Amino acid sequence: MSRAIVIGAGHNGLVAGLLLARAGRSVTVVEQGDEVGGLCAASEIHPGYTVPGLLHDTTGVRRDVVEALGLGRFGLAFESEPPSVLAAHSEHKGVVLHAEAKRSRDELEALHAGDGDGYIAWRDFLSRIRGFVSDVLKRKPPKLRPDSIAEFWNLGRTGIGLRRLGRSDMLELMRVAPMCAADWLQEYFEDPLPAAALAAPAAIGASLGPWAAGTAASSLLYECARGPEVRGGPAALVDALRKAFEAAGGEIALQSRVARIRVERGAVSGVEFERGRFAEAPLVVATCDPKRALLELVEPGTLPLDVEEQVAAVRARGTTAKLDLALDGQIRFRGRDGERHPRAVVADHLDDIERAFDAAKYRTCPQRPHLDVSVPSVNDTSLAPAGKDVVSILAHAAPHELEGGWTLEARERFADAIVDALEAVAPGTRSMIVARAFASPADLERRYGLSGGHIHHGEHALDQLLFMRPTPKLARYATPIEGLYLGGSGSHPGGGVTCQPGALAARAILGR
Amino acid sequence: MAASYDAIVVGAGHNGLTCAAYLAKAGRKVLVLERRSSIGGATASEEIYPGFTFSSCSYVVSLLRPQIIRDLELSKHGLEIMPLDWTFSPFEDGTSLLRGPDPEMNRRNIARFSRRDAERYPLFGQAMSELGRMVKPIIESPAPDPSKLTPSTIYELLRMGKHFKGVGEEWLAANLKMMTMSAVDFLSEWFESERLIGPMSVSGIIGTFLGIRSPGTAYVLLHHYMGEIDGAFRAWGLQKGGTGGVAMAIARSAQALGVEIKTDCPVAKLLMNGSEARGVVLENGDEYRAKAVVSGADPHRTFLGLVGEEHLDADFAKQIKRFKMRGSSGKVNLALDSLPVFPGLDRDSPAFRADITIAPSIDYLERAYDDAKYGRFSREPFMDCVIPSLTDPSVAPPGKHVMSIFVQYAPYKLKEGPAAWESQREAFGDTVIDTLERFSPGIKDRILHRHVLTPWDLEQTYGLTEGNIFHGELSLEQLAFMRPAAGWARYETPVEKLWLCGSGAHPGGGIMAAPGQLCAKTMLQTRAV
Repeated sequence: MSRAIVIGAGHNGLVAGLLLARAGRSVTVVEQGDEVGGLCAASEIHPGYTVPGLLHDTTGVRRDVVEALGLGRFGLAFESEPPSVLAAHSEHKGVVLHAEAKRSRDELEALHAGDGDGYIAWRDFLSRIRGFVSDVLKRKPPKLRPDSIAEFWNLGRTGIGLRRLGRSDMLELMRVAPMCAADWLQEYFEDPLPAAALAAPAAIGASLGPWAAGTAASSLLYECARGPEVRGGPAALVDALRKAFEAAGGEIALQSRVARIRVERGAVSGVEFERGRFAEAPLVVATCDPKRALLELVEPGTLPLDVEEQVAAVRARGTTAKLDLALDGQIRFRGRDGERHPRAVVADHLDDIERAFDAAKYRTCPQRPHLDVSVPSVNDTSLAPAGKDVVSILAHAAPHELEGGWTLEARERFADAIVDALEAVAPGTRSMIVARAFASPADLERRYGLSGGHIHHGEHALDQLLFMRPTPKLARYATPIEGLYLGGSGSHPGGGVTCQPGALAARAILGR
Repeated sequence: MAASYDAIVVGAGHNGLTCAAYLAKAGRKVLVLERRSSIGGATASEEIYPGFTFSSCSYVVSLLRPQIIRDLELSKHGLEIMPLDWTFSPFEDGTSLLRGPDPEMNRRNIARFSRRDAERYPLFGQAMSELGRMVKPIIESPAPDPSKLTPSTIYELLRMGKHFKGVGEEWLAANLKMMTMSAVDFLSEWFESERLIGPMSVSGIIGTFLGIRSPGTAYVLLHHYMGEIDGAFRAWGLQKGGTGGVAMAIARSAQALGVEIKTDCPVAKLLMNGSEARGVVLENGDEYRAKAVVSGADPHRTFLGLVGEEHLDADFAKQIKRFKMRGSSGKVNLALDSLPVFPGLDRDSPAFRADITIAPSIDYLERAYDDAKYGRFSREPFMDCVIPSLTDPSVAPPGKHVMSIFVQYAPYKLKEGPAAWESQREAFGDTVIDTLERFSPGIKDRILHRHVLTPWDLEQTYGLTEGNIFHGELSLEQLAFMRPAAGWARYETPVEKLWLCGSGAHPGGGIMAAPGQLCAKTMLQTRAV
């Protein structure tokens, strides 16, 4: 049985490992930390309070992938429908954006006549192109110069899928993709709030504001991949993956930090661990980010110069900070007494999001960060003491390269700014805080080994997606080093909890 | 009375005139109607201050297709382009960077900021020319519409494909990558010094409402690298006697071919017969009829103005309304009583004959953009200046000079609304001069006359909707088969017998005249006239 080593026990690492193990390889997943899960690993920030990992959003998990893995047998279950998102506002009660558009119609119409129908029209367009987009996302990116029947089919299929949309939707998709999210959404909404709330996800993981071209594509991709959350959140997903992997005979080695991927005569021969230990393996799948894998773990000079240069040029400027809160009570959003909201977006206006990125551009922190808020204890009461909440916040935009560095003061100052922004839409929250844990992009880089502290292993920008992710030469998971593959968020279809890169990498290895 | 023509062209800009000339060359009877009392449109030379000739709007010629120069014998009719092959970038600390045709000098000058960049600079030029050559076929032919897989479209796609045959997958990917990257990200893959990246990145944003960090600007960068004068790639130039001379040359050629040109003839409306254009009505009520009407005006003006929404189907009207105009730049023309100075520059330096770029750093340009995003003109704008009187003494009295300053950002839609430009025009002019003073001390005292054009003025005077100098933003979703509307990028319009030949049609703006030429060719091929 030929040995395979997977670097990183995150969701992608475990998926890749599981598929390889099921295909009869003897797989060891090596993890630097002392628990599995990577960015999905939960942690206790205060006695009785458990927060999900850095990636608290599981709406992007590919149903077809996990179902094909039969994770149901290992306790994986999904909520019945995609979560509604509260577009919170600092002055009024905001609006609840449901996946089923017509349920949001009245609130939106009350906000501004026409916006309710705008939202329905917007969702309709998305649902029409969803099939095509998710088909693109679930296959390895097409070769531009097909050199085999399979590749011809892969490319052709994309073209056919595009034409199947019908002329007007096809042209509309081509028109929208390179646009900026702001322009696109303002075609549907008059009131600034829904546009801001729907543009916000596009800002995550791209070092761009909603006025930057191409951000429409990011929000398209996000919305089209969006489905019901995993019951129990990212931790539950990782737990099911671990059980399935071990049941398939896979091994997990924790606290095993890889120091070097050893290469002999152009082929990978195994990995060296920090304390000099060496594990032989002809197949290595690196699910850490491409920069770390190919510029640090692989000895410089091993790869062709142009490949090294292209990987060095991959942009991974982290702009996301994480703040976890343990509350001595339940969070109450403005004008929403008695309502419970598991997800909220905090940004009054598109310009607020844009301004947040302006600050980051000049290596400073924004006064008013925009927030992606998750309150997991709404759906999973076991995460916090009865009648209390844990809140997980992804805040934007916090520059990895902060002027003057992420000193203690800088960290406190930004954490306070986040709490202020939350207090504005959920008055009384500040006084309920019993514990808070903050992580700057610099902290994330240290804790998880993320280059640039980038949560997606490289920015989501038009030129770093599909067959250009992470670089045109590395877009099909294989590397110029025989036996070395990439299988993390740095590869197509990119970051977030999707499990897709890991699965596609495994398939590329197994030749399927 | 109603005279009858084969074609009536609305607007005597360089595209309208080119289209008319090509139609006449094929033996058609053509009438060109110009609203203003002088021809040229935004390609104009005007003596706004006695003795000084300004190229009021467009000021450099770079993309004018050589084929057109030959077909219309423009050189014979007075086209005379003097190369502008130097770029001078002063910085606030008194240092500066001069780049030009001399590779050795470039290496020396750039090396003062970065040795590495100095070595890479010539390679970059080669790479860009390569990419430029690959994009050329796209400019030189009408845009195929991938949503209509007719045999001809497939043939055109294949023909374009041929140009990419030599190149491998990587080249193709590199090309696509560039289409979607920002100018700064793209240049940063090559260079490290901001003193080089800043000034180089601006050709990615000229005329757009984008920042140098906005994806898609790397492509525009390329667009500006495709300048071509008599086959010499990437060369820029100034027309003798001012930019208006280009339009004048095309006009003379057109007239020699039998085209009739009437100025002071503002067209009010199209003569419609159901969904069909039959001719035009002037504001004074005169009617002119023709087999076809060709509009050199921008898409908004043409369809929402001349045609009128009532004659368009709702979907098309929506697409045209969505077509982004969004002027982002202004123009300041100066009459100077002596040559300005730049620190550490002697009077005979080629820098004065150069394209003078005020773009000292990435953050400087980014801040300029931020102002525009929130509806005000840049407090410290990017400026692109030329002093044509040095290369062409005919445009100013002896010893005196004209300076043409392109200024970005000046958003058409100010926070207070576009009309607010009336009250902000002088403040805008002052900002430009104050900023320039920091780079060229004493320029204030040399100014004899100042002529400020805001986007509002560009709209009111030259009829450019929202003051957009390219008849519509050159953003990815508004190029090729999307320009000006998906499926209507081939000069034909949903209005029967109405054609579009302005910069709002593929391949877009700049003094390129390609839209005019391609429109005429398409009309003749399809036997429209």
